[in-house]
Amino acid sequence: MSHDTHHAPVACKTELAPERSDLGLYRPDRATGWTDWLTTVDHKKIGILYGAFAMLYFLIGGVEALAIRTQLARPDNDFVTARMYNQLFTMHGTTMIFLGVMPFSYAPLSGTFGANGQALRFTGVGTDFWIIGIQILGIASLAASFNFICTIINMRAKGMTMMRLPVFTWMTLVTAVLIILAFPAITVALIELMFDRSFGANFFNPSAGGQPVLWQHLFWIFGHPEVYILVLPAMGIVSEVLPTFTGKSLFGYPIIVFSGAVIGFLGFAVWSHHMFTTGLGPVPTAAFSLLTMAIAVPTGVKIFNWLGTIWGGRIRFTPPMVLALGFIWMFMCGGFSGVMHSSAPADSQQQDSYFVIAHFHYVLVGGVLLGLLSGLYFWFPKIFGRMPNAPLGYLGSALVILGFNLAFGPMHYLGLAGQPRRTHTYHAGNGWETWNLVATYGAYMLGIGIVIIFGNLAWTAFRGKKCGNDPWDGRTLEWSLPSPVPEYNFAQAPVIATRDAYFEHKHGSKKIGAESDGGEAGVHMPSQSWMPLLASTGFLFAGFGMPMMAMGVPHAGWVVIAGLAVLFLGIWLWALEGPGGYMLKTPAPSGAPAPAETAAH
Amino acid sequence: MSDTAAAHEAPTSTGIDHKKLIMWLFLASDCMFFGTLISTHLLYRKLFPAGFTDAEGHQRFIQDLFSIELTSFSTFILLMSSFLMALAVSAMHKGQIKSFRRNVLGVIIFGLIFLGCQVFEFTHFYHKGLTIQNSVLGSTFYVLTGTHGTHVAIGVLWLILLYFYSFTGKLGGHMGALDVEVAGLYWHFVDIVWIIIFTAVYLVEYLGPYGIWGSGLPAVVK
Repeated sequence: MSHDTHHAPVACKTELAPERSDLGLYRPDRATGWTDWLTTVDHKKIGILYGAFAMLYFLIGGVEALAIRTQLARPDNDFVTARMYNQLFTMHGTTMIFLGVMPFSYAPLSGTFGANGQALRFTGVGTDFWIIGIQILGIASLAASFNFICTIINMRAKGMTMMRLPVFTWMTLVTAVLIILAFPAITVALIELMFDRSFGANFFNPSAGGQPVLWQHLFWIFGHPEVYILVLPAMGIVSEVLPTFTGKSLFGYPIIVFSGAVIGFLGFAVWSHHMFTTGLGPVPTAAFSLLTMAIAVPTGVKIFNWLGTIWGGRIRFTPPMVLALGFIWMFMCGGFSGVMHSSAPADSQQQDSYFVIAHFHYVLVGGVLLGLLSGLYFWFPKIFGRMPNAPLGYLGSALVILGFNLAFGPMHYLGLAGQPRRTHTYHAGNGWETWNLVATYGAYMLGIGIVIIFGNLAWTAFRGKKCGNDPWDGRTLEWSLPSPVPEYNFAQAPVIATRDAYFEHKHGSKKIGAESDGGEAGVHMPSQSWMPLLASTGFLFAGFGMPMMAMGVPHAGWVVIAGLAVLFLGIWLWALEGPGGYMLKTPAPSGAPAPAETAAH
Repeated sequence: MSDTAAAHEAPTSTGIDHKKLIMWLFLASDCMFFGTLISTHLLYRKLFPAGFTDAEGHQRFIQDLFSIELTSFSTFILLMSSFLMALAVSAMHKGQIKSFRRNVLGVIIFGLIFLGCQVFEFTHFYHKGLTIQNSVLGSTFYVLTGTHGTHVAIGVLWLILLYFYSFTGKLGGHMGALDVEVAGLYWHFVDIVWIIIFTAVYLVEYLGPYGIWGSGLPAVVK
């Protein structure tokens, strides 16, 4: 019992002497500005870091997209070179998926690493940096997923059975399972590619018998589940937003949860539908066609459940609700063109044309982005205690939805009219000029909408109008807490008796209870640590060094070794440091977890 | 330290300790990792059953390369290290720290013997002409078995750290036993993966036309 002092009830962490770890070093304190943000173990702060970095990279990916659209605005344009164009669309995809969309619900701090892969993409070994960048992002995503799964299934409140979990939490769980099972495929593919490029191996080298099509298989064994990794959290968000603004409970909760799990499961069995034109043979083509069509069933079930939720409800058209309704509509359009692709003969006509671009942007922008923006706006008052400006919210949402349709709707036509993707320009006279120009205008409109939404949120975070703890008449537990949520979350661990526990607590008979043994001792808080930062810095240097070693930069090998040494040292010291921790006395030691005053009606 | 932390840690919803659950999740992920590597190797074995061409331009067969006796020996050693690991975990649960140290030292030594065999095997194959550059077989074989070797090396490093940590007196109680058990899960997994690799990469080669029931290797090679 060497840590008695840290387990003694205290009113406030700052009243303690600086805490020493088992190593005899002082641990960072949550009361010290920048240090706190670099070493925090508070999931809410980590969430804000995710969000801020995701928004930043989202803007970078958006600028890349606008450069692409500017280049394609008119025929035979020379705004960027062909080489530059290739780099732009590669990095647009990578930035948006790994650094923009995934961290919105995922990938903590990984943004800081990915930047290096990105800033150096013009060095001539850009691909090597890209490989390492994705590899580090993959490891970060895996670590985050282990953490999410463990937290969700192992740290639920009393009475919070699996079938009472909010759907967003459920979908995060399915997503995390998909990540831990899908990422190894891309990890191995990248390792093999790295060995080919750096050490002369022959995995994908045709002259020695290597099969480039193996790269495609490995990529899509990861890549298709990745689509569901991106879309399932958005589906979860919409499943929270719709019931809140219709005043009804989610229609068919068990079916929605089950459909999400089925989508995740089937997501592993459809990867070859990206590869119909590689000549798989009739049996695999038929099988992957059928399975791809089958995945439309659970997705359709979800859509009908969402419609059932809205049906007969008292709908409040708040900005998050507008975005959520936009999600249903746009995602459905993306789903319809997806079913068209599942038919192999049709797909072989659409392969590598703009029709495919239109399809997956309807899924990823019309679906995922609208869902994520809805969630961002929805939970923003909870995170900062301030309400974003509503007129700006409507304006931004309208511009995003309209601009998006203008940008990507015409691409269906362009694709069927034969315009190929991944081509830096096109000649006049193919009949593609008008719709390309319209698409570019749409893209700028979408960009302005995003800037308005992000600008509104950024301004709100610092200067916005303060709002109550429960401005939306929320249904789930987080709305019962003060906004912003205190560092200890619940003063006393709640006891749950039903789904939509807080809504029932306010309007029904089933109240939220409190665990009896909480109050007096306070809440156990974990100590902060420098060691994860140290380890990740080592990782950064190792990641930097490896492509440089392949380039022949002198002493780069030592940078790699030193980086790996720092990485292992960081992990080791972190393990030795011990969990530490202290008891925080909470202001309300008894009673239910203090429902907000606004709930009194 | 560990005990005080445990005392304050709330019981988990499923009753499984967080650390153990996370290790199981990692192992699930690692299954897919090795699954992909083994699939790559087997796919290329099916495409190019004849083996590889060495520096002098001679066609070489994998059966000519392998020393099944040596690999069987190192496989046996790794299997026995798993047995010692189980004893070490059991000792830790009973609080017998000395027995734990003895057994874990055995695991470390057996792990090092296995790694030594692999180093020997790699140099031997290299001198017989199989390199990572000269064939797809070389690429898949070295990367697959090398990745497994890296897993063993990380496990050995982990156990060495646990071994020395046990002398500080801080490795004890429920949390200490948990730490050892989690390391044990990893070690058993790495062992099981090797059993699969040994079967799919080594043993299966002896079932084909050039194996024990076939007509033997073509004369040119011998």
